[in-house]
Amino acid sequence: MSFHRLLAGCLALAAIAFLATVPAAAAVETPYFAEQVAAGKLPPVGERLPADPRIVTFDEDGAQQGQPGGDMTMLMARAKDVRIMFAYFYARLMTYTTDLTLEPDILQSIEVEENRVFTLHLRPGHRWSDGSPFTAEDFRYWWEDVILNKDVPPFGPPPEMLAGGEPPLFEVLDETTVRYTWKEPNPLFLPSLAAARPLEIFGPAAYLKQFHVKYADAGQLKERAKAAGQKSWAHLHNRMDNAYDNDNPDMPTLQPWINTTAAPAERFVFVRNPYYHRVDPAGNQLPYIDRLLVQIADGKIIPAKAGAGEADLQARYLRFDNYTFLKQAAKRNGYKVDLWKTGNGAHLALFPNLNTADPVWRDLFRDVRFRRALSLGIDRDEINQAIYYGLAHPSNNTVLPRSPLFRPEYRQAWTRFDVREANRLLDEMGLTSRGGENIRLMPDGRPMEIIVETAGESTEEVDVLELIADSWRKIGVKLFTKPSQLEVLRNRIYSGQTLMAIAKGVDNGIPTADMAPTEFVPMDQNQYQWPKWGQFYQTGGTAGEKPALPAAVELMDLMGRWRTAPDTSARAEVWHRILGIHADQVFTIGLVNGTLQPVVVRSTLRNVPDEGIYNWDPGAHFGIYRPDTFWFAKPG
Amino acid sequence: MLGFLVRRIMVMIPTLLAISAITFVIIQLPPGDYLTTLMTELESRGEAIDESRLQFLRESYGLDRPMIEQYFVWVGGMLTGDYGFSFEYNRPVADVIGDRMLLTIVVSFATIVFIWVVSFPIGIYSATHQYSLGDYGLTFLGFLGLATPNFLLALVLLYFANVTFGTSIGGLMDAAYLDAPWSWGKVLSILEHLWIPVIVIGTSGTAGMIRRLRANLLDELHKQYVVTARAKGLTPARVLWKYPLRMAINPFIADIGNLLPQIVSGAAVVSIVLSLPTTGPMLLDALRSQDMYLAGSFLMFLALLTVVGVFLSDLALAALDPRIRLEGGATR
Repeated sequence: MSFHRLLAGCLALAAIAFLATVPAAAAVETPYFAEQVAAGKLPPVGERLPADPRIVTFDEDGAQQGQPGGDMTMLMARAKDVRIMFAYFYARLMTYTTDLTLEPDILQSIEVEENRVFTLHLRPGHRWSDGSPFTAEDFRYWWEDVILNKDVPPFGPPPEMLAGGEPPLFEVLDETTVRYTWKEPNPLFLPSLAAARPLEIFGPAAYLKQFHVKYADAGQLKERAKAAGQKSWAHLHNRMDNAYDNDNPDMPTLQPWINTTAAPAERFVFVRNPYYHRVDPAGNQLPYIDRLLVQIADGKIIPAKAGAGEADLQARYLRFDNYTFLKQAAKRNGYKVDLWKTGNGAHLALFPNLNTADPVWRDLFRDVRFRRALSLGIDRDEINQAIYYGLAHPSNNTVLPRSPLFRPEYRQAWTRFDVREANRLLDEMGLTSRGGENIRLMPDGRPMEIIVETAGESTEEVDVLELIADSWRKIGVKLFTKPSQLEVLRNRIYSGQTLMAIAKGVDNGIPTADMAPTEFVPMDQNQYQWPKWGQFYQTGGTAGEKPALPAAVELMDLMGRWRTAPDTSARAEVWHRILGIHADQVFTIGLVNGTLQPVVVRSTLRNVPDEGIYNWDPGAHFGIYRPDTFWFAKPG
Repeated sequence: MLGFLVRRIMVMIPTLLAISAITFVIIQLPPGDYLTTLMTELESRGEAIDESRLQFLRESYGLDRPMIEQYFVWVGGMLTGDYGFSFEYNRPVADVIGDRMLLTIVVSFATIVFIWVVSFPIGIYSATHQYSLGDYGLTFLGFLGLATPNFLLALVLLYFANVTFGTSIGGLMDAAYLDAPWSWGKVLSILEHLWIPVIVIGTSGTAGMIRRLRANLLDELHKQYVVTARAKGLTPARVLWKYPLRMAINPFIADIGNLLPQIVSGAAVVSIVLSLPTTGPMLLDALRSQDMYLAGSFLMFLALLTVVGVFLSDLALAALDPRIRLEGGATR
């Protein structure tokens, strides 16, 4: 892992052509397909690959060239979870390398001018998994007949395709080249193509046209929709066009494996894609592994099954507290257990609701001294030792050390345990009168009792709150815990009924300057510290409230500056301003981060890093480590 | 008799209608609908879904309609054999349930057979050898099965089977057979996995069965006609079989009404712990994620089975025990 060796901004200004440094060896036929090729059912591998396949190199530490073959079993809790496989597969127009630079993957190359004009070059001869050509038509269809079509989701361009509120101009230059031109810079475009759940800008047109009223016979289409239990052709199209959901075995794909099983099923079988565009230096077409078997079992039994050696690779549904049990059975059942670091900005954080309905509380929360005092009144070391065996790190809700934007002060500001300073701040605010149990009184005379609400999904949160309640008592603040249920909790937060919530911190704790700082800016009502301000942005000002604190307004301005920043270093500057404001203002009170995710890996499975980062985006959990290069060594 | 049958069937209709209304209301009671569940689930993973798409899906599933209309659409559909659409599986409810029905019936049927085979001999023995060591010992075993928490026993047996026989954890067969056609290997694999749920669910049911049979038999054995039969010199076995036992199984026949839905719904808790591909876990998931039509149609199906089961057990009781009169109709 070389996250600290960041080569940011390689895409910002100029054209980058992806040059294969390795001479392409002649393609070798995959044993899995040999029979079908011999029988004439499949063309030989040389004709299946694009003219210029992507050659995967193995300069990562410990990764090595492998051999094709084998089945890999994974466990999932629900049939719907096969969508996660799409993240794991991680074939994208653009992908992140493990040091978080973007590079073309499905695309042969890309040219970017001023972050406004994006020219995408496809690989000539690239084919969908059913053998039909993958061309500019697939982009045109998706743009004109799906995105711009008012009847089919997404009903117009998604937010990542708007810059300054304007959609791009789309052009087909030739069979393998398309261009998107915005009037203003759109720095969100490329990262969203490389996301775990990518922005969809193309689809298998040849397949989807049979469901589109513009190309198919309307009468027949009506019949088909009815037979499938769908209301109209648009609903039928929407049912069939979800590449990400992996729920339509008939739909062609560009991913390394193809789902062959329709839900509901107890086991989903994914087989290798004969037209996949990556090869290894020896000329083996990837993926190495022939089949992926996704077995559905109840989420609660998955740790036990993994412990019995029934999974070749498993992280989802395994919790840190399963670690000892998993470790104990590892030798006997032929697997090893790695611990990966999670990528959340904070494993747990407190979110004082700045939009709470109670005016007295609202004024207190909006006073930075109050938030700082609460933060100083928490003994994070104690939490780390008592609950996480000392393996996590006390931290604010901010970026992790692996992010190039990390600075120690972002992590440490106001996180020391300092009861005296906290009391001084509260006294300075004039909250000096005390009631029973030595609890401070609020300006209107009520005792200062904060009810912290949890989604009630784990006892861990409740345990952490117990510890905080003890230390807050020393600063004259009483804490009550109220577990509820996620949907209920959210609606209470949105409407301002909660005072404070405890939840995970920012999802992406390892951003680069080129990733959008949306999670640090009031842009979503799902940000528990300022739901109404976020809603205000989301709804274009029709609902919610206008941000009222100067610091929050400044964050919004900075977001605008980030969008229009000319290059990476200017974007980094904006990021640092934003992170600085967060550290200083303590909008959210982070507790610990860098917690660990157990990963069970079959002893014979190669190329899975021992110490990866388990992060959704960027990272796609396993995706960024290229599961198509995982392979099984012969036991012995 | 015919009038009685018709009356009984006529009563079933409003009963089922009432059940359908209650079911529908209860499923709708939690805040939000399937789409809010979906949204929360997506967001918990850092994915987003925009409002317009949600609205589209709402229309797609008919969730944008008023509650009462949704109810009538559902009930009307059921009358014509259309049980609605499962959001979770994106398929008609009938298909989703059908897939799991066979294995559910296998598990439940095996369990019921197990319960009867174990508890009948023990019950008879306990009654005929009252207060003997055997009576106490066997009854104690039964109570032990009742007292052990099912999920715990299931986990212990799973671990034990995995470590000693290498049986795969949970499920009803080895992964290799999941999508394979039926074969001897598959049947054997199912048998290998089947004994755990059967024992776990079975042991909890035997105690009740044993005690009821014992109590009923004891009542009968002290009656006049048994004494008379003995005095006439019939063999003890014949004395037992001819009348008392027939009277004593009366409660079991009355139980058929409950047995039918049980066969279909199985023991949900154990199925969930063991991750069995049966209907119990599916129903729970459907209720959790507010997959309205799947949960509702399934519950309706269980209600129908219960109503039919009670009807059948009434008929069987009447046939079995002439002392049972049908609503006083025969006394006139």
